[in-house]
Amino acid sequence: MNFWEKITGSDMTKEFKAFESRAKKLPADYQAAWEEVKANLWTHSDFTGRNLMPILDGVLGLLEETAADGQGVEEVLGEDIKGFCSALAGEEGAKSYRDKWREQLNHNITKKLGK
Amino acid sequence: MLKGVLEGSVLEIISRKETYGYEITRQLNALGFTDVVEGTVYTILIRLEKNKLVEITKKPSDIGPPRKFFAINDAGLAELQRFWEKWEFVSSKISELKEKRS
Repeated sequence: MNFWEKITGSDMTKEFKAFESRAKKLPADYQAAWEEVKANLWTHSDFTGRNLMPILDGVLGLLEETAADGQGVEEVLGEDIKGFCSALAGEEGAKSYRDKWREQLNHNITKKLGK
Repeated sequence: MLKGVLEGSVLEIISRKETYGYEITRQLNALGFTDVVEGTVYTILIRLEKNKLVEITKKPSDIGPPRKFFAINDAGLAELQRFWEKWEFVSSKISELKEKRS
């Protein structure tokens, strides 16, 4: 990643397009699940969303593998896609906006208290 | 609680033979953990990978993309031993508690 890409995020756009073209090859119910996973993961994004890229890549891999096995997407992800996403983001150490706000608040309070 | 137990169980399954996500899930289902899905196992495997307790090899499969195979390493074996020690402790204490019920 060079400076230009870092600033504009153009490297991510490329990566994202690659993800989407991979996703388009999945069965319809898998594509729906992919959309839901993305929607649920965004809350764990950092400022650029760059931290999500390896996670998304992994999930797409899982979907491709299991779709090829002929499993239904329900069998693979269960009903709790939201829970799956937060478990994923948690294991990867991605913090959500809420965590960051909480940290900031704690930090500010400590500073105000002069400690 | 189940999360820690599942992680230990997955590690135990991997320790017996190199295996992959689908096989692990099926084994857990056969054991009686019927609501464990491949997604659950996937998040556990990511954690094991991140903590460097397993080695990963990608092997081509007849269908679809290459499959990730997992094998236990020395750090994983040490962790597995700790898991069983902890489990022995917890399960003996819980049984003790149950027996005291009158």
